[in-house]
Amino acid sequence: MAAASTSSFIPLKPRPTPRGLSTIAVLKLGAPLSFSFRRPVLAPARLRISCVAKPETVEKVAKVVKKQLALPAETLVTGDSKFAALGADSLDTVEIVMGLEEEFDISVEEDSAQSIATVQDAADLIEELVRKKCA
Amino acid sequence: HRRLPAVIPTPPVSASPFPNPKSQYCCLSRNFSAALTPLLPVQLPSRMETHLWYVVPDEVKSAPLLSKYMELLPQSERDHVLGFRGDQLQKSALLARTLVRTTIARYQVDGHLDPRSLRFKRNIHGKPEVEWETKDGFCPPPLQFNISHTSSLVACGVTMNSLIGIDVEEKRRRTKNNILAFAKRYFTAHEVEHLNAIPDSELQQQEFIKLWTLKEAYVKALGKGFSSSPFNTFTIRVNTAAQQASSGIAVETLDSPQNLTNNWQFALLELMGSHYVAICLERQETGGAGKAFPIKLTARKTIPSVEDELVSGTNAVVTIGGSVTQF
Repeated sequence: MAAASTSSFIPLKPRPTPRGLSTIAVLKLGAPLSFSFRRPVLAPARLRISCVAKPETVEKVAKVVKKQLALPAETLVTGDSKFAALGADSLDTVEIVMGLEEEFDISVEEDSAQSIATVQDAADLIEELVRKKCA
Repeated sequence: HRRLPAVIPTPPVSASPFPNPKSQYCCLSRNFSAALTPLLPVQLPSRMETHLWYVVPDEVKSAPLLSKYMELLPQSERDHVLGFRGDQLQKSALLARTLVRTTIARYQVDGHLDPRSLRFKRNIHGKPEVEWETKDGFCPPPLQFNISHTSSLVACGVTMNSLIGIDVEEKRRRTKNNILAFAKRYFTAHEVEHLNAIPDSELQQQEFIKLWTLKEAYVKALGKGFSSSPFNTFTIRVNTAAQQASSGIAVETLDSPQNLTNNWQFALLELMGSHYVAICLERQETGGAGKAFPIKLTARKTIPSVEDELVSGTNAVVTIGGSVTQF
């Protein structure tokens, strides 16, 4: 491994990728070797939902996440933010889902709960469930 | 909220003395431009043994050392580590990858194994596994491993043959939600009853964490992903028998409630008085009449390539559940 690759500035934040590409990137790199392997590479397929969530929903999800993880209010949390990268372990993730269920008055299936990896995933799922509920 | 400097620095150009001469790493500072001390090789666990290795992130403070660890990782894993937000998260992610690579390399199944050379893949359900090189005459060992980490502890369990799942958690971890509300939503009725019966809220919270780690360890041992075994589809039964020093732990799946699933064995440990470690193992053999052999456990605290300490049998590792013999 060339020394040059480690000697330059090491960014603390990943480069943001457009939402549509982030899933592909995960698949191509063989998926980050997070120990929450319970979100398998196949998980994104579950979340191909017809609509993309409104920004307000993403905002609300971000708020629940920041509260659960005790992040400072000014922490930048966007749709692309991964729960794990923000410091959520599996217990945090389940608590976040519980918080989202209360916030949006929905019920999330256990297996769906575990396939949520990013804030956007959560927001999209919520809108889908809300839509079904009101249909 | 002041932005802290990155824990993982660029490799320094020239040697500099370690700020604290009394630091246990001061001898490292003289040599850090040279290779780290070689990993002490370890014998493969026997079929009946479980090896537990752990790192305490707070005890790993040397920036040059962390740099060296970073160099052990392929680019994709480095990117993954750097994707974590903040120094503490990055550090424990780095230590987790370092621990798994250096631990497996110690077993030296193929001459001297460079931790850098290990490749990992995922099984069809997403569980990480070693991808051994297929060389002529080389039979990869049936080494099984599993990792768990929090910001304050990184642990890796290793066996020969037995599927293994481990989970670690701080004893004092608190849920944001009320424990019983959480348990009613995600655990089974029996487990809710078990928790509800505990009058002291501190003990109840600890019992909740124990159950959580045991359930996590089970799902991780199964290796089929959380969605195949949601937490409310199986019960962890903890039996405190007066005659036994520590309780028996068993898992019962909802679809076959009459048969306690005998395939899985559990151990629950209290580590350094501060953490719970749950281990779930595939049962390899039973003694007569379906009686399980106790889990033979060897536990080592490590700072990879710096020092190892055998801690099993000391008060750093206390068995609080399951049948365990420490070596």
